[in-house]
Amino acid sequence: MEYDLIIIGGGPAGMTAGIYSARQKMKTLVIAKAFGGQMANKSVDIENYPGFEKISGFELIQKLEEQMRNKGVEVFNDEVVSLKKENDVFSVSTKSGKLFQSKTVIFATGAEPRKLSVPGEKEYVGRGVSYCTTCDGPLFNNKVVAIIGGGDAGFEAAIFLNNYAKKIYILEYGELIRAGKDNQDKALSSGKVKIITSAELKEIKGEVFVKSIIYKDKKINEEKSLEVDGVFVAAGYEPATHLLEGLVDLNDKKEAIVNFETLETKTSGLFVPGDANFGKVKQIVVACGEGATAVIHAYKYLN
Amino acid sequence: MNKVRLFSTPICPYCMTLKRFLEENGFEVEPIDVSSNEEAQKEMVEKTQQTTVPVLEINGNWVVGFDRKKICELLNISD
Repeated sequence: MEYDLIIIGGGPAGMTAGIYSARQKMKTLVIAKAFGGQMANKSVDIENYPGFEKISGFELIQKLEEQMRNKGVEVFNDEVVSLKKENDVFSVSTKSGKLFQSKTVIFATGAEPRKLSVPGEKEYVGRGVSYCTTCDGPLFNNKVVAIIGGGDAGFEAAIFLNNYAKKIYILEYGELIRAGKDNQDKALSSGKVKIITSAELKEIKGEVFVKSIIYKDKKINEEKSLEVDGVFVAAGYEPATHLLEGLVDLNDKKEAIVNFETLETKTSGLFVPGDANFGKVKQIVVACGEGATAVIHAYKYLN
Repeated sequence: MNKVRLFSTPICPYCMTLKRFLEENGFEVEPIDVSSNEEAQKEMVEKTQQTTVPVLEINGNWVVGFDRKKICELLNISD
């Protein structure tokens, strides 16, 4: 079966594209592992999405997903493993072995948590190492955890984990904490949080589950160990664009190069809205706007 | 009769996606919140050796994450 449009990704750009494509009566399929994108991992309320004084990421995802589904958009929950274009037809394959085809594609995979690339990280994913605080945080009730990254995401994770963990270390690579004062105050108010700056994570160790981390204290150039049960990674995000290689020009950060008027890439009929492109403003509302723009231009391309 | 249990946490979007997928295929499940049910959390972690959600138990088989292919096979869902 051939679709007019396949939308890959279920973050704000992808879901808004779904809503707009339904309104344009385009035969559309949305393929996403899950809905929400980075909003799924947002552990404090969103306060800058128009129409809501404040709303949790979880609630906003539910509202967007319902709005999209109520318009009759077809959804397939799975991971996309390849994207090709031959003879003006896009072929999209998924991890479970499905193949879908379409005339246009909106690639809205956004960004994914940056890996730490230290020994033990891969081995202990799901066994103490987590990239989703909102999902896995509640499993660390009365445990000791480390958050890697002293930016706002790290402190927001600490605010959330204050509800569960008994002790929280925040490790920041730089000499200074980068998080805003408000997030720092909220995180520190519990008295459970200890901040360690100039800390370079070297290794995650354990047996079946994580038991400790090793970091270098760069102030004295000495390696130290901390006993922890969990490691929450908050070291920023990187664009999830590896499937675009060959079809789209990527910059040195692996962000997709697009025409910002249309969000189209050098491959005609292939659009990249949201955090996967090289736009400098990474915001939910911008991703939504770009999702809408991409659909309108995909519609023009088809007609 | 299939026996399906979904282990989840309260604001886990991946868990919601899995719940909806099961419902769309005719399997009504009441998620077990492992953040408040310590016994269930202990059982889940012991059986899977993992500290992550969502987790499904289907007739004694444990599946970590939304593994579409495996879940369809275990529940005879034609995909």
